[in-house]
Amino acid sequence: MIEFRNTQVTYPGGLRALKGVTLEVPKGQFVVVVGLSGAGKSTLIRTVNNLVVPSGGEVLVGGQSVTQARSKALRQMRAEIGMIFQTFNLVKRSTVLRNVLSGRLGQVNPYTSLLGIFSKADLALAHDCLHRVGIPEKAFARADALSGGQQQRVGIARALAQQPKVMLADEPVASLDPPTSHAVLSDLKRIAREDGITTLVNLHFIDLARDYADRIIGMRDGLIVFDGAPEAATNEVFEEIYGRPIDKEKDLRGAA
Amino acid sequence: MASRVRTATPVVVPPLPPQARRTKLWQYLLVLAILGITAACLLTLGNVSWERILSGLERNLPPLWRGLTNPDAAIFSRAFAAMMETMYMAVIGTVIAGVLAVPVAFISAANLVGGNRFALPGRGLLAAIRVFPELLFAIIFVAAVGPGAVAGIMALGINSVGFLGKMFSDIIESIDPGPGEALRATGAGPIHTFSYAVVPQVLPEFASNVLYRFEINLRAASILGLVGAGGIGGLLIQRIQFRRWEEIAMILLVIIAFIVIVDVISSSIRRRLV
Amino acid sequence: MALPSAVPQLPLLPRLLSWSTWAVIAGLLIISLRETNFRIDDMWGSLVDFVLFFGNFWPPDWQRALPQIWRPLIETLQMAWLGTLFGVLLGTPWLFWSSRNTSPHPVLMWFSRTLMTVMRSIPDLLYAAVLVAILSFGPLPGVVAITIFTLSILAKLGSEYVEAIDPGPIEALKAAGASGTQVIVYGAVPQVAASLLSYIIYIFEVNVRASTVLGFVGAGGIGFLLNRYVALFQYQRIAVLLMVIFVVVIIIDSISAYIRARLT
Repeated sequence: MIEFRNTQVTYPGGLRALKGVTLEVPKGQFVVVVGLSGAGKSTLIRTVNNLVVPSGGEVLVGGQSVTQARSKALRQMRAEIGMIFQTFNLVKRSTVLRNVLSGRLGQVNPYTSLLGIFSKADLALAHDCLHRVGIPEKAFARADALSGGQQQRVGIARALAQQPKVMLADEPVASLDPPTSHAVLSDLKRIAREDGITTLVNLHFIDLARDYADRIIGMRDGLIVFDGAPEAATNEVFEEIYGRPIDKEKDLRGAA
Repeated sequence: MASRVRTATPVVVPPLPPQARRTKLWQYLLVLAILGITAACLLTLGNVSWERILSGLERNLPPLWRGLTNPDAAIFSRAFAAMMETMYMAVIGTVIAGVLAVPVAFISAANLVGGNRFALPGRGLLAAIRVFPELLFAIIFVAAVGPGAVAGIMALGINSVGFLGKMFSDIIESIDPGPGEALRATGAGPIHTFSYAVVPQVLPEFASNVLYRFEINLRAASILGLVGAGGIGGLLIQRIQFRRWEEIAMILLVIIAFIVIVDVISSSIRRRLV
Repeated sequence: MALPSAVPQLPLLPRLLSWSTWAVIAGLLIISLRETNFRIDDMWGSLVDFVLFFGNFWPPDWQRALPQIWRPLIETLQMAWLGTLFGVLLGTPWLFWSSRNTSPHPVLMWFSRTLMTVMRSIPDLLYAAVLVAILSFGPLPGVVAITIFTLSILAKLGSEYVEAIDPGPIEALKAAGASGTQVIVYGAVPQVAASLLSYIIYIFEVNVRASTVLGFVGAGGIGFLLNRYVALFQYQRIAVLLMVIFVVVIIIDSISAYIRARLT
């Protein structure tokens, strides 16, 4: 479903964030990418919808090149790729429902959407998405009136409203407490399973990665240093990825 | 582009809660009110003779365009001198206003001398001054003291006292009472408290406001001449009456250049002040 | 007397700058006074004349002035309303095009910013005077002048608001495949709507004041009446005019303040 062909990214200042990544993710897989801050995880995930344009190589989604797509074609491809963010990125002053509906923008009539008019089917879908993430009653609340976990759920609902084939999650739980993190990730995995969505998630923490991933990819310094099943990701492997020892006692996060 | 939606289970769309419905109602009413007022204005606006306008456009646009794209360099020195006079008017007006506004502001600030007894009439006076546009003052002053820069400077001065007085008052009312208390606790008298606790806090913001007011006064000063109160406006109104577009274009360029340069310098100083 | 250490000292650079600014201002003042031959006794003489002059305004001539004032007054308000409305309609896209984070194309952004800087430097009365020469007398040049003025200051301040918004929702909407305009409407507008609306109402206040004088150069409204009264030395009618202006502006300001308070 997602294919990286020797993808490289060098930022204008000279920083080489990705030094050549080649990777294939089959349909429906739930992949977790781990690594230190600055290892290239955010960059990697943003090349999938071209929010970051690779300086070399290519990224394909569903067999089509995202890297070379322009304007309308790019927007159409992005409409099939949902994304959730560490800081949720909701429009704080708008209602939850409006935030979720804004996920449909890539696929609705451009003129009526500018007036704020959505079809009955779109409205039904938006409410359905809120239902699936567990907060249907919050539809008319203002987005900034919700707790962190609820806001991220709205973010997921927004991405879900796109009816995506691929879901990208950039550190989705880094701002949330441990129990909420587990709740959000398990919801994400359940929905991905139900809809057959190929998912790529960036995470900091080992335990969350091991609990939820079908496949773990470790990155360090812009390169992939590990690619395999969670069972194979032992503490030694993680020490490789992070480049320093992990002390289980000092790890403040436990499994839920 | 039709939206393709697959719904797995049919979900009932819940109705809007009463609060949301009320907000929507108010929004519709607002839009309707705006449209209504606009329609009323458009329909009742008399004195608009379209034939006169169209013929006027036909007659005037070509020479206007030609003139605007060929500014006349000959008038540059006169325009420059007139603009300098304009700038001096703006400087004097702003400075006088800055000086006068300070005592008025201190009286009008509720947290200093006298409290609300003086503050309310003080603020009231400042607000009353701010009701009138500077041009109105200029017109009256020209009638009172005759045409020339004096009328213009006075108009700018009084108008600016109104604005600077308000801004200064607001600034004074927003200062931190901490340093003042600290000083009084050591037995410092009112003059010392004033100079060391109040003045340093307000001075940078005062200066910033004075500069901003100067930017505005420079623009205002350039048009005061249109009503006879001195500055480059006088030169301009003559040229406009005779439709000498090439000269008007040069004068406009001089005005714009001055204003843009002053704006840029003033903005960069102000950014570093506050 | 030694200062207690509890008094905070402001950092050096801003204080230095503010003192040197005062010094520069003083310098400019001295030069200006010399160049314009402005003398304090001149000013004093004028001030006395000036105060005496105001005796001419009393008693205000209600009977003859009021009937003449109504129609032009309405015209003044109409000019302010239409000018502000059109200025807002035209200025809103401009302001988004001039902002670094919402502009669809860098060339468009540079062009609209430069145009706005130039247009903002020309005071509205100047537009009015030039437009009267082109379009002939009447309220139309006034409306156009106010429109141009409104849209240029809206574009300038509006773009400052827009450049300060949270870029997160903008990124999210782009990632979902929304078009440039959709991103603006759903991501940028909700963040700045309240502040912009408040500023627009303030602009309307300013425009009402401005329209009262535009007529002086022929652009419609009570300014024209003012011109006539001054030319004919009818000071008692001017007094009525000033009082009417005062009342109208106060009313509009109060309504505007009320609405703006409800917005935030």
